[in-house]
Amino acid sequence: MRRAPLILAFLSSLLPALARAQAVRTWGTSEEGPPAAPAAPSSPPEPPPVTIGRPAPGSTSAPHEPATTSALPAEETPSRGPALSATGIVRTPGAVALKYTLEGIEVRGNKATRARVVLRYVPLRAGDVLDVNDPELALTRFRLLGTGFFRDVQLSLRRGTQRGFVVLVVDVVERNTLVVDDVWLGISEDVSSNGSARPLTAYGGAAVTETNVAGTGIALGGAFAVADRQLALRVRLADPQFLGTSWLADTELLYNAARDFFGNADVLVDDPTQPSAQDFAVAQYTRLGGRVGLGHDLGISSQVFFDYRFEKIDATLPLAASDHRGLDVEPIDFMLLPGTSVLSALRATVVHDTRDDPFLPTVGHYATAMVEAALTPLGSDYPYAKLVLHGSQWFTLPWGHVLHLEGFAGGVFGDAPLFERFYVGDFSDLLPDRVLGLDFDRRPAPNLLSTDIVEIRYGNYAAKLDAEYRVPIYRGRRSIYGVDVFGSFGLYSVCSQEDIVDPPRGYTGLSVIPVDLTFNAGLRIDTQAGAFVLGIANLVGFVPFRGPQGGAARP
Amino acid sequence: MTPVRRARLGLATALVALAPLVAHAQAPAPQQPAHPDALALRKANYAWEGELLRVSFSYRDVLADPALVKKLSSGLPMVIAMRAYVYREGDVTPVALAPRVCRVVYDLWDEVYRVHVSEPERERDQAAVLDGVFRLCTEARDLPVVQRRLLAAGEAYFLAVVVDVNPVSTEMVDQMRHWLSRPTGSTGIGPTDALFGTFVQLFARQIATSDKTLTFRTEDVTP
Repeated sequence: MRRAPLILAFLSSLLPALARAQAVRTWGTSEEGPPAAPAAPSSPPEPPPVTIGRPAPGSTSAPHEPATTSALPAEETPSRGPALSATGIVRTPGAVALKYTLEGIEVRGNKATRARVVLRYVPLRAGDVLDVNDPELALTRFRLLGTGFFRDVQLSLRRGTQRGFVVLVVDVVERNTLVVDDVWLGISEDVSSNGSARPLTAYGGAAVTETNVAGTGIALGGAFAVADRQLALRVRLADPQFLGTSWLADTELLYNAARDFFGNADVLVDDPTQPSAQDFAVAQYTRLGGRVGLGHDLGISSQVFFDYRFEKIDATLPLAASDHRGLDVEPIDFMLLPGTSVLSALRATVVHDTRDDPFLPTVGHYATAMVEAALTPLGSDYPYAKLVLHGSQWFTLPWGHVLHLEGFAGGVFGDAPLFERFYVGDFSDLLPDRVLGLDFDRRPAPNLLSTDIVEIRYGNYAAKLDAEYRVPIYRGRRSIYGVDVFGSFGLYSVCSQEDIVDPPRGYTGLSVIPVDLTFNAGLRIDTQAGAFVLGIANLVGFVPFRGPQGGAARP
Repeated sequence: MTPVRRARLGLATALVALAPLVAHAQAPAPQQPAHPDALALRKANYAWEGELLRVSFSYRDVLADPALVKKLSSGLPMVIAMRAYVYREGDVTPVALAPRVCRVVYDLWDEVYRVHVSEPERERDQAAVLDGVFRLCTEARDLPVVQRRLLAAGEAYFLAVVVDVNPVSTEMVDQMRHWLSRPTGSTGIGPTDALFGTFVQLFARQIATSDKTLTFRTEDVTP
């Protein structure tokens, strides 16, 4: 394949640059070893005696003996507020409450990651008062682990150069930061270049991220998806602390050479280069552009993101095409402007996430609200607005299984390009999802309820209710973290305004409501290498048990 | 029956079937041993003080890892939390729970460990050398466990013990997750839309647990 060298070059360019950074000691004197530890017992230790009461029958207690301890006499807890000793150490009530003056911070163990990147996550500076009970100290460790740069992080203190002063030591163990985010492989039914249906075509793709480029803390990611005469590329750069602030900066470049398929097995096409009677009308288009964004935390569990997108779209469309819609023949709307056009849009997204686990959650919820508006005054050829609401809730049932309920609702108002509309394949488990904006499959909705959803490929409105039941069958702490068996069942609808106010002729009763069922079953596997879903729905989608595919009213 | 009616009937049946599951859904109970009677056996000394059962046992081996001993001297607080569940032999539901929390921090300039112990009936602050820390923080001495009236006479009971070193609290987990999720930002409904979304889980497992967990059960005591 001629694009293969390009893809290899693209992936090669994503490999992390090898950077050298010395372990930086921002402060420090010679290291002091901890006090000698007593030998740890290798077998279960003998119990100490009970010293109060009457030994119970069957107890292995030895006769009463005086309790022994190496503890020093109990300290008198100050009855008033914190006491500042002449030596600069503050002991507040409670013997484990200690405060020191921070003399410096020492970072150890970093080879690729620069010390200043580590120090970004430490909210203390030399001269600050360090309270050993400050929860920020524990959070600092988790913040550093959360960067993904380190396999282990340990904090400790050692004496400074004068009494009452300490040095905060941050010991890190770096980890591989090149991460495979996603891998896509599947088969679909698509369309040949002359518009005739083809049985099966393979598609695939992958997403890879270097989360700590040259030790700077910046993430660089790339992704590609490929199918027959379709290609999608992404490059993404994210800085979780943009310019040292609490804002996340994120930018992405995209390129798509895409095809999409319209009609339902017997379309008429006005295209001088193609036969007029085809199975499907094919729209070809390229997208080239990018996105810049900023994100900020709204609290422990909430974040807000603002994005601006700009894309140039080049579309090659048939001069005209028509297809059956119910009993009528109507022109096909390709939802793209022929030739060159521009998309310019602003997006705001709020995310609220209280899940206890990103992949196999057992409790909590995940909710997003997104609003996007095309900036027609700033050059967008597609005037539209888009609103999406999505919520999920996980429940742990008394017997340990997990129930997941999910709801989705969205609307597009105006003339959005087709890749911004709602696609039935994204809602039905029996069809392949879009990958990086590429649509691989020509099939309509499975239509298990025999409704007019079979006439709909893209819609301006979509809604879905879904329930998933999970049974944990394995939990581990090494290479495989968890395996769950799951089964899901859902109801979804995709439609446009015309499907509501002017449904296709020939459908009656409840069949004018464009809804369909979806289901899936399989395994969810969480591993050290990533998370995988092995589901049967995509394969089941090729089994010919579907409802009427030509449309219930197709002549 | 038409396919549409069949499907509607199926959908209604499924919803009815799911309803009781939702109604009984609840937050998980505090973690306790799944199979308490199958835990490794350890000796304990029991005594009755009137109607109160007291017990002494050691879990000194929870600090068998030299790295944890070294961490005791880090100058930052270390928590050793012990939960002793009282079970009747053959049962999987505990009848009582006796916790014990030891918080220790090394005073760098006075070169002494400052220990705070919380257990039923008492809280105390002490200063200790390292061996004293082991005695104070990894041994339960005369721990009040359960009143006799909660136990059935003639039945055998035992303790299932869970010891965590530096356990992570729920609040802490929330804050950790907050940081873990920072690079994500995906808003798509499908997992295929997320470019960065999946790698965070690689770290959640490591940091959402304690530094060390020790579980065992004690020998029986019969009231």
